[in-house]
Amino acid sequence: MHSFILQTINGISYAALLFLLASGFTLTFGLMRIVNMAHGGLYLFGGYVGLTVAKATGNFAFALLAGGAAAAVLGFISDRFLIRRAGEDHLSQVLITVGLTYIIGDVSLKIWGGDALKLPVPVWLRGVVELPGEIVYPTYRLFLIVVGIAVAAGLWLIYRRTQIGAAIRAGVDDREMVSATGIHVDRLFIMVSALASFLAGFSGVLGGAFLTVYPGAEWEILVFALVVVIVGGLGSLEGAMIGALIVGLLDAYGRWLAPELSYFVLFGPMAVLLLFRPRGLFGTANMT
Amino acid sequence: MTAISTLMRAPASPQRRILTGVLLALALALPAISGPYWTSQITQIYIFGLLALSVDLLLGQAGLFSLCHAAFFSVSAYTVAILQVRYAVPTVLAAPAGVLAGTLLGLLFGLAVRTRGVYFILVTLAMGYVIWGVGYRWSSFTGGDSGVTNVPAPAIGDLQVTTPTQFYYIVLAVMLLVMWWYSRLVQSPFGLALRGIKSGEDRMRSLGFDPARHLYAAFVLSALMASVAGVLYVYYNRFVNPVSSSLQVSVEASLMAIVGGSGTLLGPLIGSALVLGLRNWVSTFFELHLAVMGAVFIAVVIWRPGGVVGFIRRLVARKQS
Repeated sequence: MHSFILQTINGISYAALLFLLASGFTLTFGLMRIVNMAHGGLYLFGGYVGLTVAKATGNFAFALLAGGAAAAVLGFISDRFLIRRAGEDHLSQVLITVGLTYIIGDVSLKIWGGDALKLPVPVWLRGVVELPGEIVYPTYRLFLIVVGIAVAAGLWLIYRRTQIGAAIRAGVDDREMVSATGIHVDRLFIMVSALASFLAGFSGVLGGAFLTVYPGAEWEILVFALVVVIVGGLGSLEGAMIGALIVGLLDAYGRWLAPELSYFVLFGPMAVLLLFRPRGLFGTANMT
Repeated sequence: MTAISTLMRAPASPQRRILTGVLLALALALPAISGPYWTSQITQIYIFGLLALSVDLLLGQAGLFSLCHAAFFSVSAYTVAILQVRYAVPTVLAAPAGVLAGTLLGLLFGLAVRTRGVYFILVTLAMGYVIWGVGYRWSSFTGGDSGVTNVPAPAIGDLQVTTPTQFYYIVLAVMLLVMWWYSRLVQSPFGLALRGIKSGEDRMRSLGFDPARHLYAAFVLSALMASVAGVLYVYYNRFVNPVSSSLQVSVEASLMAIVGGSGTLLGPLIGSALVLGLRNWVSTFFELHLAVMGAVFIAVVIWRPGGVVGFIRRLVARKQS
């Protein structure tokens, strides 16, 4: 029972991280119909930039902002100058953004080397917290859950309760109608794309502090985020939340009960969904 | 488009026979001309050309972009390696077992054809990654990071393949056999149905076809082809590790098909030569060769020349008119 609770908290904290990455991916796709595989690359890049800033300034908040901002700039440039050229063709988008991820990964390897590097965190996040039931748990991973919930709540409020959010939701459903009503869809695209890239870099810094930053992390985290999106349904923010929880928890239990086969756990939810709901839990028919 | 497209499609045309004859003669004479190093390089090109062709059965014929073909390739290679190294199973049994294992995985992953478009790409990518993860983490069975080494050379009874030249001819024979089978497949009613689904699935459905069944069959056949390539790959390298199931292998295979000319018989093979040649060449003098490959992906997709075969077709068509 004790380890079950421990693994459940582990799963939720990983879910928080996955949500940060998957929400950007799913909204970018929902609004712009762009499959951006470079999200993993932006995660890695943000993590490394955050690491450098954290080491130079000793300030974790700066590191978070710098990692996010660096990824947002890189994401904006690649979106404007490369990904747009693929047009609506998903095959081209995938190949371009996979190519981009190779470039980001290889250049990062050259700059930061091949070792797994750990981001330093402030002293108050380093210790452990005693939870009821004699559970001792790392403070940092609880902090991650808090950040994840805060960002999720913020995104949800923007998405469901503001005019910008309404425009985004309308854009997900029918882009032509939105531009016909006089909303600058292009400005909306830039905002969502920059926000998604920022979140990717931001999550890279957050993840780097407990998973470390290392070559290959870009693909590992991307695949988990993709499974989240597949389970939740493309284009749905709520889907990304539920999907992240499912994948995070299954991964934690998998690592605990069958460490060698833990990756196979990922296949389970996908197979079930493919059989019963090929478009994911919250996916709609116009998302292909 | 007239001349060379008939040249590639109509089996009876004399130009096609001449082209086939010249290419065959070249392929047969190659080890004598080029020496062992290039013989070995070209063997590798054939093996990955076969993998690219398997990807293109889905991409070029049925219009499905799979990112999990490295999984079939790798599972087949691992099966052969583990059977041969740990259980001393002879090649005549291990090689078919490898093909069988990869194809069985294809029967399972074929579930992916329930989705289309982006979902298909994402689902296959994740499935492929699961296999990579299993190969990497299940180290007590797969050897983890270092994989399975010391795979013996293929042998039938006492006859063992010892030189690169002998292996070259085996790979060439397998490749030609698969290509011959493939060209018959795409010209059959089944191949026609696949292209019909690619250009308009609803139309095919209203004509009474069941697209899901056709796509599932194509998926499994394509997994079978990738598994054949996997068997050749493990005997070529004499080892197998998780790199063989990485996303990079799947992506490069589809890139080969696109660069060479998707939907054609020779395109994937030409693409394999170009991609492998470029990679090996760049890595001799530039450290960031993976970044260069990434830039090539982007450049190829943005300019999208319709592949080498498409380019030649347009060139010939212009001369003829």
